[in-house]
Amino acid sequence: MSAHTSAVRMGAKSWAAVTLATVVGVIAFGWPFLAEPGSTAVAHAADAPWIFAAVVPLVLLVVLAQVADGGMDAKAIAILGVLAAVICILRPLGAGTAGLEPIWFIIILGGRALGPGFGFSLGALSLAASALITGGVGPWLPFQMIAAAWVGLGAGMLPPLRGRAEIGMLSTYGLVASMGYGLVMNLWFWPFLGGLEATAYSPAILFDPGAPVSENLARWFAFSLVTSLGWDIPRGILTAVLILIAGRPLLTALARASRRANFSPAVAFVPPAPVTAPPVPAAREGATR
Amino acid sequence: MTAVDVRTPVAAQPRRTSRLPRLLHPGAWWLWAAGLALAASRTTNPLLLLLIVAVAAYVVAARRSPSPWARSFGVFVKLGLVVIAIRVVFQAIVAAPIGTTVLFTLPALTLPEIMAGVRLGGAVTLESMVAALYDGMRLATILICVGAANSLASPARLLKAVPAALYEFGLSVVIAVTFAPQLVADLDRVRTARRLRGRTVGGVRGTAAVALPVLEGALERSVTLAAAMDSRGYGRQAQRSPHARRLTAAALLGALVLVVIGAYALLDASAPAVMGLPMLALGFTLGIAGFALAGRRSVRTRYRPDPWSWPEWGVTACAVATAATLLTLSITGVPGLIAPVDPLAWPAVPPLAVLGILVSVLPAYITPPPPGRAS
Amino acid sequence: MTHVIEFDSVTITYSGAERPTLAQVDLAIEEGELVLVIGETGSGKSTLLRAINGLVPHFTGGTLAGTVRVAGRNTATHHPRDLADVVGVVPQDPLSSFVTDTVEEELAYGMECLGVPASTMRRRVEETLDLLGLADVRDRALLSLSGGQRQRVAIGAVLTAHPRVLVLDEPTSALDPGAAEEVLAVLQRLVHDLGVTVVLAEHRLERVLEYADRVIHVPGGARPLVVGAPADVMETSPVAPPVVRLGRLAAWSPLPLSVRDARRQARQLRERLHQLPARAVAPTAEPAPVVSVERTRASYGAVPALRGVTLDIAKGEIVALMGRNGAGKSTLLSTLVGLRRPDAGTVRIDGVDPVTLTGPRLIGRIGLVPQHSTDLLQRDTVAAECADADRDAGVAAGTTAALLARLAPEIPADAHPRDLSEGQRLVLALAVVLVATPAVLLLDEPTRGLDYPTKERLSGLLRDLAASGHAIVVATHDVELAAETATRVVVLADGEVVADGPTAEVVVGSPLFAPQVAKVLVGADGADVPLTVTEVREALAVIG
Repeated sequence: MSAHTSAVRMGAKSWAAVTLATVVGVIAFGWPFLAEPGSTAVAHAADAPWIFAAVVPLVLLVVLAQVADGGMDAKAIAILGVLAAVICILRPLGAGTAGLEPIWFIIILGGRALGPGFGFSLGALSLAASALITGGVGPWLPFQMIAAAWVGLGAGMLPPLRGRAEIGMLSTYGLVASMGYGLVMNLWFWPFLGGLEATAYSPAILFDPGAPVSENLARWFAFSLVTSLGWDIPRGILTAVLILIAGRPLLTALARASRRANFSPAVAFVPPAPVTAPPVPAAREGATR
Repeated sequence: MTAVDVRTPVAAQPRRTSRLPRLLHPGAWWLWAAGLALAASRTTNPLLLLLIVAVAAYVVAARRSPSPWARSFGVFVKLGLVVIAIRVVFQAIVAAPIGTTVLFTLPALTLPEIMAGVRLGGAVTLESMVAALYDGMRLATILICVGAANSLASPARLLKAVPAALYEFGLSVVIAVTFAPQLVADLDRVRTARRLRGRTVGGVRGTAAVALPVLEGALERSVTLAAAMDSRGYGRQAQRSPHARRLTAAALLGALVLVVIGAYALLDASAPAVMGLPMLALGFTLGIAGFALAGRRSVRTRYRPDPWSWPEWGVTACAVATAATLLTLSITGVPGLIAPVDPLAWPAVPPLAVLGILVSVLPAYITPPPPGRAS
Repeated sequence: MTHVIEFDSVTITYSGAERPTLAQVDLAIEEGELVLVIGETGSGKSTLLRAINGLVPHFTGGTLAGTVRVAGRNTATHHPRDLADVVGVVPQDPLSSFVTDTVEEELAYGMECLGVPASTMRRRVEETLDLLGLADVRDRALLSLSGGQRQRVAIGAVLTAHPRVLVLDEPTSALDPGAAEEVLAVLQRLVHDLGVTVVLAEHRLERVLEYADRVIHVPGGARPLVVGAPADVMETSPVAPPVVRLGRLAAWSPLPLSVRDARRQARQLRERLHQLPARAVAPTAEPAPVVSVERTRASYGAVPALRGVTLDIAKGEIVALMGRNGAGKSTLLSTLVGLRRPDAGTVRIDGVDPVTLTGPRLIGRIGLVPQHSTDLLQRDTVAAECADADRDAGVAAGTTAALLARLAPEIPADAHPRDLSEGQRLVLALAVVLVATPAVLLLDEPTRGLDYPTKERLSGLLRDLAASGHAIVVATHDVELAAETATRVVVLADGEVVADGPTAEVVVGSPLFAPQVAKVLVGADGADVPLTVTEVREALAVIG
């Protein structure tokens, strides 16, 4: 874990919850590749996406409840809210053009500066908040939330480098993670396009439940190539470039904010020091009025 | 509400069931939309799908509040049309043709082996177009149902109904939604100030240069906000025994473990059937129990919460009825739910399905009108 | 009888600080008192206020020696959230502390946190809406309220918890006089009708001094506090409103705290000042105007902000632009600096239309220090800011730093601009604007949050600038600053100029714009009235 402060305390239970949720998430996103032929998922390949679409929100809410149960103080909530607001404003800037959402660098830098728990929460919350502001909550939201939460969590768990190496590492992570986000979201949507029940109809780059894993992987790659790599590559590059340019000033600003917020203040109460000189009467307040 | 005519004696005035205008609990509308969406996911019959869209549109028109966020329905309809278009184009370019009635032929291109030797282009048949259309319509209908929910019950109102276990996160989202317009105003001011310093305002450089001061200002204000929240009592927690705390964690973590087991069992061919969906369902219930337990830690009360009374129960009943009808029909394999594509034929319309869908029109009548509109 | 707030030998040291901020503070505040806390910026007033509800040290970190007790609860064992039902803290900037987005929900939020039952919440929200006069804005979004309304909502938000103590940090600093009066009237009502103890920190003492039961002066530097009746503390306090300074000058006893008290004692002084010869009218050598505004109109969409303003300002003039909020002051300033294009009419700065100017040509002609001077400061050290300003203005490196050192030598070069005090930030912003040597300098509400000594320094600075040939326009609500500094006052109302003339002519006799000294010394015969204590001192020196 990085040496930076941790705004959201993650105890053992919170980590356990996050790990379990990650496992479920891997299954929920990656089941086309992980399902064995003959399993229930493959047998009901048209229903499986819906089942997992119902499972992910539950898991997300449970893990958030556990993290919240660990205790979140007002400072963490306030900074979370404010950074989520910043992300909400930045998101429409790309106007949906080719996936240019300049928000990932903030999630990554926030996770880096303020800890993995904060990054996880920021990723989930900022996507939820921006969906609420634009009035567009759809079935994709829990998937987006958990994928973005992973991006933030990962950023918080990067090794503690300093200086140029730190920015380089974060920039590479940004490239990989934001492209990964797109590919993973693709993965969520891919089985839906499988459509009609009879597998004989499924087009050659859509999911074929009967095919072996290697063929499905190839299909998925082709699908991504045809559809979203045009979105994911620009997103990745934009994130990497933004981190390279704005990473150092942003990290400094976040570190300063973290210092001023003083997430775990050193508080001491001591008995009063003995008064060495007799108090001057004019300076002491008499108790009577 | 129409004015009461004071000239006629009271006894002669028409009796009206006074349902005061109020906004329905947002959860009720989302449940209704979920019921319709679930029903839509079970069928590709275009007539049934259009009926669902009509039902949704009617209820939205009847019960939509005049606030600006209620306009998202139109956006979702457009999104649905885009999805249909994408699905059809996809089928034309990528899919192997179904059926025999060729409409036209696209130039073909075979991708290399590493991409599964996929063939792009080729003959485009009527059957595949229609199949894609049906499939796209199904997805679009689900989206439209979600749009109807967005329009009837702004997600922002759902924030007030956030369960106590997630209070902190709900509050963060509330803060984000509250701060965002202030930040936009800050952006404007800082951009103006840049001009006052004699620097360029427009373009990427200008935008980038104003971002950092706005961010720093926002971070400073967050500390002020945190101090104010602390001073007003945020963070008071009920005294919980260590036993209660452990129980809560056990319930939450246990729910996750059950879901992991259930999800894994769905993927494993050798797992017994009882490990799959039943485990998931068990995990679901345990998760809800964990939520309730985690909620005990807060001493918060709610100011003027949205009530859950007869109209809400009625709407929930409609949702359950619609979803259950279509689920049952799809499990029993009633003809007409899946429209035939090859060979192309006009789909049959099961009357029970129509009835089940029409039940979801009732919320337009049994719920109170939203405030700010004539009923 | 137990006091509602007790400080017992309290010494507060922040983490990492070498010296304590407050030392050996002993204080006992009784129920139902209105206590005013005064002191220069950075003296520790905020620390004192925050120690009352435990924010210091639980929130900020630090060491607290001694005991602070509020309503019998010791802040060592009670966190701020545990004291929320006895102490309500109203922060300086209400907008930064709002959690929800409508008035009614904001009022209820505090009670929700405390677990008050729903029926009680309902009742208290209605009562608070009536008490604070907010009933007709209950459904409005908080962002759409005026400054005074927001401040009242902030007070209401903590009042619904029925606290016994209300702590306010500079509640009226960002408000215009009318809104400030409303807020003070509310506080008076709370103290007198409801028996709430109010502890209030303020810089602008003119409005609030007469209401205080006791005054605490925090001298800073961990020196002992001076606590006592207002008249006693004002004898020796370095921060004092004009009325008190006039009383000290004329050796009145007891010291007057309000204009009314002063008028009763001022008869002799008034007669003495009658002996003055009439004020010499400056010869009207009309220099060419450097700012020329001709029948200018501007509007925000359908709402007109300026309806045909005509104004000429010459070099060496200091013009105070006054008027209520929404009268068009800020719009006029934006139009002058070329940020908005007027819908009709002409604006010329040194013969050039400012809208056509950008970059160094703009800042070399006219400079504006906006309301939030922080907006101008966009780097993270003072030195970087100065280097930027040098580059923007095209002058030799180090010019801005030298200018800043002359104006405010105590500002360290490596400090973060946001860490400076309000006054220091204003001076830094001024230096950044002045290094381009603009002929015209505009300031929008510069005295918000400034204490008296800083205001005096600002006045002196502006007078020096005017003497060296700048034309200065200050949009302000602060009548004392206008009286002290301005040679001419222009009053805007509803987008039109309703008064324009030398300061003495415009402000004397006006109930809203007259400074305290003028109100005290104005006689029935309309003779020349001094506007500031300095003028009285000079007049007395002439008379002998």
